Amino acid sequence: MMEIAINLLIILIKILVILAIALGIGAYLTLVERKVAAHIQRRPGPMVVGWHGLLQPIADGVKLITKEDLFPRYGNRFLYNLALIMALVPAVLVFAVVPFGPPIEIGGREIKPILTDVNVGILLVFGLGSLAVYAIALAGWASNSKYALIGSMRKAGIIISYEVAITFAVMGPLMLAGTLSTFEIVQAQIDQKLWYFWVQPVAFVVYMFSLLAETGRVPFDIQEAEAELVTGFTVEYGGIKFGLFPLVEWYVEVLTLSAIAVVLFFGGWSPINIPFLGFVDPLFFLGPFAPFVWFVLKVALLLLFVLWLHWTLPRYRIDQITAIAWKVMLPLALLNLVITAVIAPLIWR
Amino acid sequence: MFKLIVFIIFSAWAVISSLGVVLFSNPVYVILWLLSALISIAGIFFVAGAELVGAIQLIIYAVAIAVFYIFVLTAVPWEKALKKDSHYRVEGVIAFPFIILLYIEMFIVFTLGVMASPKKQLKLFIERIGNAEVVGSILFSKYFIAFEIVSLVLLMGMIGAVLIGRKESQTYDGDTS
Repeated sequence: MMEIAINLLIILIKILVILAIALGIGAYLTLVERKVAAHIQRRPGPMVVGWHGLLQPIADGVKLITKEDLFPRYGNRFLYNLALIMALVPAVLVFAVVPFGPPIEIGGREIKPILTDVNVGILLVFGLGSLAVYAIALAGWASNSKYALIGSMRKAGIIISYEVAITFAVMGPLMLAGTLSTFEIVQAQIDQKLWYFWVQPVAFVVYMFSLLAETGRVPFDIQEAEAELVTGFTVEYGGIKFGLFPLVEWYVEVLTLSAIAVVLFFGGWSPINIPFLGFVDPLFFLGPFAPFVWFVLKVALLLLFVLWLHWTLPRYRIDQITAIAWKVMLPLALLNLVITAVIAPLIWR
Repeated sequence: MFKLIVFIIFSAWAVISSLGVVLFSNPVYVILWLLSALISIAGIFFVAGAELVGAIQLIIYAVAIAVFYIFVLTAVPWEKALKKDSHYRVEGVIAFPFIILLYIEMFIVFTLGVMASPKKQLKLFIERIGNAEVVGSILFSKYFIAFEIVSLVLLMGMIGAVLIGRKESQTYDGDTS
């Protein structure tokens, strides 16, 4: 009985920590994005609320929550609100299979810093990730507005095309690791002394393209298209409901997909890798905290890369986006898959 | 015990959502009930320990297939979606014997599956080498020919769909690049 209670308590603490990370960091990424954007455009960015705008996300949150809740007169209220839940829940659930570091020991009990180490973790990531299509389609339909509908149809088309490419792209690393569990993929990279980025650069490029497309980041933010569609499928939402969609799409999903990219291609919590030789750890003085710092560092770098692209590039046209998905990205991913399948057994088996 | 409670929750959820699929008249709600039924069935697979099948259920059925219904529906105008002329009562009565036939088939398949490994060797096998490996090794050894034939049928279906969906006169290749 005691054992069950302790296990439940551990799971509860893990859930709380993961929720805090997903939503708290997600909210603060708005500030990071505004600062990065500002410095790319040689502006100071938010400076007024707190030291260098540090309290800006809280001020934004209070403002959004206290705004009037508007609802389109001929919309469908139930589906309108359901779309919010269906956007938020799958995006946060994906964090359940992200491994943050190696197993640690607390009080003689080994704890893995991952919520559930299911042996099909990667499949779950993409299953849950693509449930986001429903939120977008419903938001567009329930608003009963042409702008919202056009935006949601564009976005749903993009997600469906790139979901195929991203699934084939991750097959390469999966084949090298020989497992579908996120935890064991990282372990396999440490055992083989190899980040899969070094042997799967094509898969990584396809993965990054799909990441940008699925989260609606520039150069694939055609569902937003301020100039023609106002803001796409969120146009009829107001207040905090409006705030939640970008929070989920631009920050929480980018965070999860970057974490998965680090797991698949950059060896999760392992230090800098020299292919086939070993690992170099300049942060060795941090002791047991070093793996966690490495993981956070890699995810942060990938996030900054995405932000940097966002404020540098113009956007594609919708037909160009789907053409890239089907004519360039999918054949590349398939080619990579075939080459990996031929060469990998020669080296490791 | 714990497993049983979770199983009962998921199966009750599945039954309720299936009723919802049949009883609601607004097509968007029907799709959502279908989605909920598919997710609850994935949950049942997870409880039974078939994690791979559960995850594939989620990816293939809940996302890839049901999302196309949503696609069609979002293109349907609002007034049409709210009409209630989509209930076919005569057809429902005619379908009844086929439902019973399907149940009989399900029962036969189930008993065949139980008879195939009376001492639960298959279950031990799965527990020893893991879900994905078992599915892969069985598909590519015992059922290899069936698997290849199925993939061929799928390929033919895909080619057919491309042929039907292609409208030579209406493409606008010249305008885009």
